[in-house]
Amino acid sequence: MTANRRDFLKSSLAGAGLIGWSCGAPLFVSRTAAAVPSAGKAGAKDTILVVIELTGGNDGLNTVIPFNDPEYSKLRPTLRQPTAQIKKINDHLGLHPSLTGFAELLQDNALCVVQGVGYPNPNQSHFRSMDIWQTASLAENVSEGWLGKALKSLPGTPSFHLKSNNEPAPLALDGAPARVPSIKTLEEFQLQLAAASGADKKEQRDIIEGAARSNGGPGLLDFVQRTASNTYASSRRLQEIGKNYQPKATYPDTALAGQLKLAAQLIDAGLGARLFYVAHGNFDTHSTQAPAHANLLAQLSEAVTAFFKDVAARGHRDRVLVMTFSEFGRRAKENGSRGTDHGSAAPMFLIGGKVKPGAVGEHPSLTKLEMGNLQHHTDFRQVYAAILDKWLGVSSMEVLGAEFKHAAIFKS
Amino acid sequence: MTDATAKSIDPRWAWQPYRPSKEAPWDLPRVGHLYRRAAFGATYSELEAGLKAGPEALIAQLLQGGPGLAEFDAEMAPLAKNLARYNDIAHLRAWWLSRMLHSPHPLQEKITLFWHNHFATSFAKVQSTRFMLGQYELLRRHALGHFSELLREMSSDPAMLIWLDGRDSKKGNPNENYARELMELFSLGIGHYTEKDIREAARAFTGWEIQGINVVFNPKQHDDGKKTVLGQTGNWSATGIVRICLEQPSAAPFLVGKLYRFLISESVTPTPELLEPLAQQFRSSGYDFGALVKTMLSSNLFFSPLVYRTRIKAPVDFVLNIVRALEGKIGATALAQSLEQLGQNLFSPPSVKGWDGGKTWLNGQTLLFRQNLALALTSTEDARFGRRCDPAALARKYHKEADSELVDFFLRLFLQGDVSAQTRTRLFDYQQHAHKLPAPVFWTEQDVADHRVRSLCHLVMTLPEFQLD
Repeated sequence: MTANRRDFLKSSLAGAGLIGWSCGAPLFVSRTAAAVPSAGKAGAKDTILVVIELTGGNDGLNTVIPFNDPEYSKLRPTLRQPTAQIKKINDHLGLHPSLTGFAELLQDNALCVVQGVGYPNPNQSHFRSMDIWQTASLAENVSEGWLGKALKSLPGTPSFHLKSNNEPAPLALDGAPARVPSIKTLEEFQLQLAAASGADKKEQRDIIEGAARSNGGPGLLDFVQRTASNTYASSRRLQEIGKNYQPKATYPDTALAGQLKLAAQLIDAGLGARLFYVAHGNFDTHSTQAPAHANLLAQLSEAVTAFFKDVAARGHRDRVLVMTFSEFGRRAKENGSRGTDHGSAAPMFLIGGKVKPGAVGEHPSLTKLEMGNLQHHTDFRQVYAAILDKWLGVSSMEVLGAEFKHAAIFKS
Repeated sequence: MTDATAKSIDPRWAWQPYRPSKEAPWDLPRVGHLYRRAAFGATYSELEAGLKAGPEALIAQLLQGGPGLAEFDAEMAPLAKNLARYNDIAHLRAWWLSRMLHSPHPLQEKITLFWHNHFATSFAKVQSTRFMLGQYELLRRHALGHFSELLREMSSDPAMLIWLDGRDSKKGNPNENYARELMELFSLGIGHYTEKDIREAARAFTGWEIQGINVVFNPKQHDDGKKTVLGQTGNWSATGIVRICLEQPSAAPFLVGKLYRFLISESVTPTPELLEPLAQQFRSSGYDFGALVKTMLSSNLFFSPLVYRTRIKAPVDFVLNIVRALEGKIGATALAQSLEQLGQNLFSPPSVKGWDGGKTWLNGQTLLFRQNLALALTSTEDARFGRRCDPAALARKYHKEADSELVDFFLRLFLQGDVSAQTRTRLFDYQQHAHKLPAPVFWTEQDVADHRVRSLCHLVMTLPEFQLD
């Protein structure tokens, strides 16, 4: 994007900033859009969070591996990874051999591993456990997600759900003051019209956008209208962004990499976007796990590494934080199908210029299992709390409804 | 919708058969509602005929299906066999979509789709068109039959054995995948079993193998020891576990609740009291699903304003409503492909939980895909659909010419005329004003007139009301 284009965007966005949210006109209106990146400390106003959901239950024990523990080989007679190929974090812990990029990030002091993350009374249903992680609540029937709630304190902050397949928007983003748009590609995020002339097009667009104006009633019609008006407004703004993004790193040709490249493009466009959500999977490896799991981890590591190199090269190294999570880890002992069944505690990855490099917390004991599952050491809400308070600058108390001791994931 | 709405519903009134009255007359919106929920939408002639026929006749017709089903099946079956032979899943999707469009018994296809979402199995892992077709046939065979039989046969369905790893589950070290989802998603719902029940039940499902294209039971790999599942101890096999599950009090309400959401409402959450009479009927009939569907579709509640437009159209319904209404003679292949973007790729549900439906169908991207697909279907500029779904041709067929006639025609066709006066006025103003708008010089007068009709039709389909089911 040329400097002029960028300036134009900034000024038009700053001007649009006067439009309130309460009237249901959710434009890309950001109070920070016009600000230059401060590249400052954690908690700065323009920090960016990219959440990557590892769908299906990632096998934590074969992701961050306690390779010196004799129990590991016993629990994983066919699935254990050869010690020589494991990427060492320290003298007892290492990364799966496919996580080459993550090993590089660790060298670069940009990778933090939180070990043994979970929550009390772990649930082994994919869907229930995913809801728990996304709402950050153990209560049932919660309709707001933790990121959606956080956005209430960040009014006007552009956020995006980047669809890698055709998955629906995540519960984590529900509850935001304006619906977070889901986007597959910029090209496809446009309303097409067949019009006889420019004037015809304008009239058609006016009717479509007029019908999408909500009068605030309850029920599904209002939901459709709010979704529609958000979408038309977002789509118009996004057409301003330059189409030819030239990344400063080589992205692999995978769905996840494509979505992270789009995130980099949206960051670079200077819209003031701060929250991104992407899903990657399927990690539900009940049988013949080894090749599928290695492949998924390689895709994750390569895509995230390319993304981080790209944004770092554009001066956003210290503004960006990537967080991975999965609904649960898997059973400590492998099953008879060379796979693993549903388990509980598992590690989380955090990537960014401001993370505390290396392993944080304790690896779950391989002998003190609970129904055959690893016990958690860190509650995932401790990680969320640290991110909310220290990174996004949003009160974790308000989002989580309770105080959680911050996980030590940032450089002090 | 607030809980108060659901609480105010009297269960006795709710499930009694609907009879037209002054407060609840048999009108066009009710005909459209029935055609959307019990089929895949209606043509203009069908709407008008349904209005004349009355509720009893139309409900009976949709429940039984029209004549010619056996001939239709006989015509369609060899095509599918061929697709199975060539492992052509893309065309199997189109094949099913054609069945939905053209079957004399659309309700059967619709309920088969319900079951596909219930036993959500994906080609992404199964990788065999033959097995996906086999499962589809199993679902259709029992669609309006007995759930107990469907559930029993499902435990040895080859696609399911691959999808939830039953084929790899061995004595001594069983795989829990199927046992868990059997209880959580297929029969009881979360909270009605323990982790221990799952682990014990998993032992009962060991021993099934797939050899070539056949399912084989290998007694050597089957754990025939004693298991305690949901309080019952015995040497249970798969059949025993299915029986135990169906004896649980939570089974009937779980299925009834799911069908309620599919046929009646996504946004009015039913109270247990509201569903109880249906759960009782379902249980005492030995899980007769067809009877349950009939009770729901004939009921007072079904035709009540409380549940009108309280679902979001599923992508399948969105595209088929359009194609049926426009009486399009289009091939289903491109249509089936477009469903993937809209988020409902047949034979490839996102997970074993199926499509969540409701509000999750709609987000920024899927809404734009829907509006753009509606345009592509009706446009003469997009060759994907063969330009054979033309609103201008349809208007001519029904002799609609004047601006106000055209506006009312499309509003009745797609929304049974049920939109605000303001919306109608805006469309009418556009239609009138469009006469004065400039058009390319090489367009004939007919081109200009046809363009106006197509644009009007597209605008009607982009109305938020059209996203509701």
